[in-house]
Amino acid sequence: MISFAFWEPVIIISLINVVLVTGLYITAMSGQLSMATAAIAGIGGYVSAVLTTNFDWPFIPAVLAAAAASGFVGASLALVTLKMRDFILKLTTLAFGEAVLVICFNIEYIGGANSFTGIPFYTDLKVVLVLVAISLYIAWRFDGSRLGFAARAVRDDPVAAAAMGVSIARARVLTFGLGAGIVGAGGAVQAHYILIMNPGELGFFISLNYIIFLLFGGMYTMWGPVLAAVVLTGLPEVLRFAKEFRLILYGLSIVIVVLWRPEGLVTRTPTGVPRWYSRFWAATPEPAGADNPGRVGESKADSAN
Amino acid sequence: MDLFLQQLLNGLIIGSTYAVVALGFALVFTVLRVINFAHPDIFMTGMFAGLLAGVHISDNFLVVVAAGALGAGAVGLALERAVLRPLRGKDILMTLLGTLGVAIMLQNGMAALMSPDPVAYPQALPQIPLLTGTISLSSLQVVNVTISVLILAGVSYYVRMTRYGRATRAIAERPDLASAFGVDVNRVSQISVVLASAMGGVAAVSVGLLYGSAWAFVGLLYGLKAFTCMLVAGNRYFEGVMVVSLALGVVEAMVTGYFSSSLRDAVAFFVLIVILYFRPNGLFGSYTV
Repeated sequence: MISFAFWEPVIIISLINVVLVTGLYITAMSGQLSMATAAIAGIGGYVSAVLTTNFDWPFIPAVLAAAAASGFVGASLALVTLKMRDFILKLTTLAFGEAVLVICFNIEYIGGANSFTGIPFYTDLKVVLVLVAISLYIAWRFDGSRLGFAARAVRDDPVAAAAMGVSIARARVLTFGLGAGIVGAGGAVQAHYILIMNPGELGFFISLNYIIFLLFGGMYTMWGPVLAAVVLTGLPEVLRFAKEFRLILYGLSIVIVVLWRPEGLVTRTPTGVPRWYSRFWAATPEPAGADNPGRVGESKADSAN
Repeated sequence: MDLFLQQLLNGLIIGSTYAVVALGFALVFTVLRVINFAHPDIFMTGMFAGLLAGVHISDNFLVVVAAGALGAGAVGLALERAVLRPLRGKDILMTLLGTLGVAIMLQNGMAALMSPDPVAYPQALPQIPLLTGTISLSSLQVVNVTISVLILAGVSYYVRMTRYGRATRAIAERPDLASAFGVDVNRVSQISVVLASAMGGVAAVSVGLLYGSAWAFVGLLYGLKAFTCMLVAGNRYFEGVMVVSLALGVVEAMVTGYFSSSLRDAVAFFVLIVILYFRPNGLFGSYTV
């Protein structure tokens, strides 16, 4: 339609969003939906920006340091919110994000309200593709790991999970730390693409975008949020012909998808399967045992009714 | 001392608007178990409905207020019918996403329809300074607080004394049992959403009159704070929500007055984390999802 030069930034931004939402997906796997994604990405971005600009670190160690710093912050946040549930937990992460924003506004060393500028340009399509591959590989391996199963058990029923010997604290702290680490790496790469860090970009309304990606795609599979991040980042650009109505169409498409698929775009339950096939499927139950804990990742919404 | 009194006054004025919006969140949550993220933007729609009526019909105060209530109420009715009802019983996060989509539509729709910048509000009431000198107070501020207080008193009366108000509390306590006892859940939900929207619309008109402008993105200023107030207070007692909202307004005004306005949000959210760490269900208790 339009040249690659127009689409390349869109592709890079949407792939960075894929990395961030993958981190959010891992965090949310143990039932703690972080509302501070933008703040944690911002911490990663600031760390990497300061290290490369003021201390002349090379790119890759700086990104790793950013991931480590963000992961540490995420794990600490999980420790603070360990006893909280549902909305209170989300609200605390929200408040944390807003607090980080205000703190960044008031630190002169990183530019305060004037933004941190002069960040070297490192990020191109290749770098982003490598990071996407790494984070998807981590998420994929994590999905099938013992800790992944433990995290989903904690999400679906913390009491039962604890009774089965799963450590809630361990699952929550590790998932939050790992997810925040990936978000931090994504934030660092984003900083080296946008080349400017402004505290305003750390707020709740930016974090909300990633939550929209996660829920739109369905938070029970890894591919759902990835698909949603690509589609929803590209959608406002595709809709550019509609001028000022494009964001209305954006909102409308979210509402339509929510009404049409209330469990998210990609779900674990097979849909559109012919009846004879699903009957056959139902006739062969999976052996649930210690090695195969069954379909733990089944969505809550299926059992809630 | 003058600074203290002035900031106390300013805090109560802003807090009373927080209270009305927070009460809208709480009313919808207790009945439908849904966080209605479109609520702050329904508030904004009411503000613009009042503005349009003031410009095109008459700038009589009552006409403007009625238009605000009707406009916001109509949006609330449509929202309940089109989005909230089909999603009842589904994952609460998905209803949150659905109402967020509606919020994006309302904000950008109003920005496209009117203007992305603040628009001047019709002068339905004259601005008369009541107190001048060290402490200032204008007639519009009094009107703003009076409207909020009337709304809050009306909601307290409604949920405690009327037939549908009792049904509201019954659904809040046990949604499954209430319908077994003959409560029409659909009807009560609809009334609750429309009521929450309409009172948001009236409060929005009084805010528009007070500041003399309406803005398509004004919901962002009130929504987050009001949502916070609802969670800090817990949604079990509406009176608790009102008290916490007023307190937040006063705390913000004090921080702005004595320290700096850039610290305002940080202090509010810090107090919030501390309170929630010790009382995870809010100060006065919450209904859970």
